[in-house]
Amino acid sequence: MKNTIKVERAKKNWTQEDLARQIGISRQSINSIETGKFIPSTVLALKMAKVFGVNVESIFQLENQD
Amino acid sequence: MEQSKKIANRNSIIFALIYGATYLPAVWLLKHRVFGQPISIIIAIVPIIAFSIFIFKLIKAFSVMDEVKQRVQLEAVVIGFSLTAMLVMILFLLSLCDISNPGWFGYANLLGYCWLFYFVGWFISKKKYGI
Repeated sequence: MKNTIKVERAKKNWTQEDLARQIGISRQSINSIETGKFIPSTVLALKMAKVFGVNVESIFQLENQD
Repeated sequence: MEQSKKIANRNSIIFALIYGATYLPAVWLLKHRVFGQPISIIIAIVPIIAFSIFIFKLIKAFSVMDEVKQRVQLEAVVIGFSLTAMLVMILFLLSLCDISNPGWFGYANLLGYCWLFYFVGWFISKKKYGI
């Protein structure tokens, strides 16, 4: 699973800390998700999509091996 | 929400320290048989109560953690439990062969190994998720 969190953050000019505060998780957790080490739940993915103002599919995409 | 997470975390740490502060003196007092049996039993119960409250606070803190931290804790407990179960099984099987060393593997040591294995699991899981 790949994601475009970093790109979406850059568009909004948000730091990991800013995003973490918006969706109510820690900065380390954002880093873990952003680097693909942790796959978030549907609820968290939807929260992210909501704060970025985009669809979930545009943030998280399946890769061939998924 | 953020405030309640911090309070829950702080409470679990405070009660962990209270547990440690009651456990070590209790062990010392019971080991040196400072008091008679009825008072010794009361002394033995004090750290158990402190530990029960600590576990309650820890579970409460766990419930307000974000999902990445919950996963880290869950994996730490799984690794810790598995290693402890394996150690107990090894000790049991060795005891059947009349090989045992209570100096290194008594109940008190097992408690220490149990916490050690939990922290090993915690370290591994934290590394895995980059937290």
